[in-house]
Amino acid sequence: MLKYTCKRILGMIPTLLIVVTFVFFFVRMIPGDPARLVAGEQATLEDVENVRVSLGLDKPIPVQYAKYVTGLMKGDLGMSLRTKRPVTKEISTRYVNTMKLTFISLFWSAVVGVALGVWSGIHRGKWQDYLGMAMAVSGISMPSFWVGFLLIMAFSVKLGWLPTTGASSWKAFILPAITLGVHIAAVVARFTRSSIIETMQEDYVRTARAKGLTERVVIWKHAFRNSLLSVVTVVGLQFGFLLGGAVVVEAVFAFPGLGSLLIESVNYRDYPAIQSLILIFSLQFVVINLLVDMLYAYLNPEIKLQ
Amino acid sequence: MTEEKKKQDQTQKPLEANPQAAITDAEKADIRTPLSEAIRKFKKQKNSVIALCFILFLVLVAVVGYYLVPFGINQYDYNAILQGPSGKHLFGTDEFGRDLFSRIVCGTRISLAVGLSAVTVGAICGTILGLLSGYYGGIIDSIIMRICDTLFAFPGIILAIAIVAVLGSGLYNVVIAVAVFSTPTFARLVRSRTLALKEAVFVQAAKSMGASDMRILFKHILPGAIPEIIVQYTMSVGTSILTASSLSFLGMGAQPPTPEWGLLLSNGRNYLLESAHITLFPGLAIFFTVLSFNIFGDGLRDALDPKLTD
Repeated sequence: MLKYTCKRILGMIPTLLIVVTFVFFFVRMIPGDPARLVAGEQATLEDVENVRVSLGLDKPIPVQYAKYVTGLMKGDLGMSLRTKRPVTKEISTRYVNTMKLTFISLFWSAVVGVALGVWSGIHRGKWQDYLGMAMAVSGISMPSFWVGFLLIMAFSVKLGWLPTTGASSWKAFILPAITLGVHIAAVVARFTRSSIIETMQEDYVRTARAKGLTERVVIWKHAFRNSLLSVVTVVGLQFGFLLGGAVVVEAVFAFPGLGSLLIESVNYRDYPAIQSLILIFSLQFVVINLLVDMLYAYLNPEIKLQ
Repeated sequence: MTEEKKKQDQTQKPLEANPQAAITDAEKADIRTPLSEAIRKFKKQKNSVIALCFILFLVLVAVVGYYLVPFGINQYDYNAILQGPSGKHLFGTDEFGRDLFSRIVCGTRISLAVGLSAVTVGAICGTILGLLSGYYGGIIDSIIMRICDTLFAFPGIILAIAIVAVLGSGLYNVVIAVAVFSTPTFARLVRSRTLALKEAVFVQAAKSMGASDMRILFKHILPGAIPEIIVQYTMSVGTSILTASSLSFLGMGAQPPTPEWGLLLSNGRNYLLESAHITLFPGLAIFFTVLSFNIFGDGLRDALDPKLTD
């Protein structure tokens, strides 16, 4: 297991290097002069040049790249052009908010998705199955910003129970978390259903039934446990989708997280912030995928034995 | 008549001078090609047939809707601002008194065009990359797969936002962004099919007869990957319509006054309190369009997936 872990972590390094390089050059391709943007509309040519020097943008690209990578090693992401504060400072509080939001969404959607999937799967071909899957395919097809607005209309505007914006109290997390999780819950439900249907046809399930176990034990102890393996993988892989989806959902609820920061930064052409945010999103994603793989290896005795 | 009997009948037919002429219409119906088989299985799934009909209807609306709508898409009417649905304005009006129904109908064209063209570009690029990668292997394979890994290291919409940030906002750039992020999926899919088909006897036979690499790739291997590509294509259309409308919603895609559905919805956010219909109807339009592509895709998958043959 340790060997496998080391191998996977080492295997991640080239991907990360490519991602870092890719993000660096990619952001340099954004049209517009950041120095002029920082200096302001009224600035003279001289002012713009001063800003350019102070930001280090006058140096050749390879020098900028080297500085950027060494900065990254030290945990320095540069200064935000918009707020003139270190990007790490800008990001830290918002990072916590986005992580809270994604984990809450992941948790509820995994529970609901698995439950719905099992329910549909064990009633294959009956009305429960059709109802469950109709809900799931609808969940996949709804634009998240629309779901968000419908929830706001119902729970904030009409009923006045929950706040529409911010992240100040736990109540403010409820609507964004529901919105963000709908799609994942639907994906998990569909996947769990097919996985359950597959395992229900296995010999060991027939054996379990033949030896007179109750249907509940057969389903949860034999069928579900064995399909859990692939379900875990799918739930983990949805994490990346959650990170992406958070951008849209945060925009709907004016939620102070990484996603809304990304949109603001793109609108302002705040290079250091855009570059750091895209990097953080992809790092998150790569690390989570690694953890999912590890978990899979841990749960799957076939890989452990190798 | 059972299936077996039918087969026996066909084999027992005496050989005639012109075998083509001997096949009557009735017998034609019995001959099972992979295509007819897929159509037969697809027809069994009522939901998917309905979804397909709805998609065809949407295409029709996209083509002729523009000429049939009761109001112009940018026809202002300051006497009818923010009106709810009525006989005159089926879906109500927006803050400039523009008829929402006309705008949504005209928006069909945009959403379908963006979704379909983005996925088509992505599918073509991905298929070519996947074919080359799987067939030649070695360094080409490594490079292409590294690029795919890198693209996969970004959550889809983040990559799209990054691309739009570089290219600037606008519908064409949204198409490019969505095409880029759907490419690696097709590349991986086609690559794995190519790897499997490369060793097939018919490919080896074609090779030994001296067929060129291009001929083998496009005439022998590609047709074998087509069913998977079609299924992935249909599934991707729904996703890319959603992504494109999300980008427009975030202000990075279509710009006002384009009647793009995501943009219409984003416009409605200021009037949630008094005029919910401005957000409701564009959302329903996106929902039903994506839903029909997803259900159609599910049906296609069940009809084309060789693993599910009965």
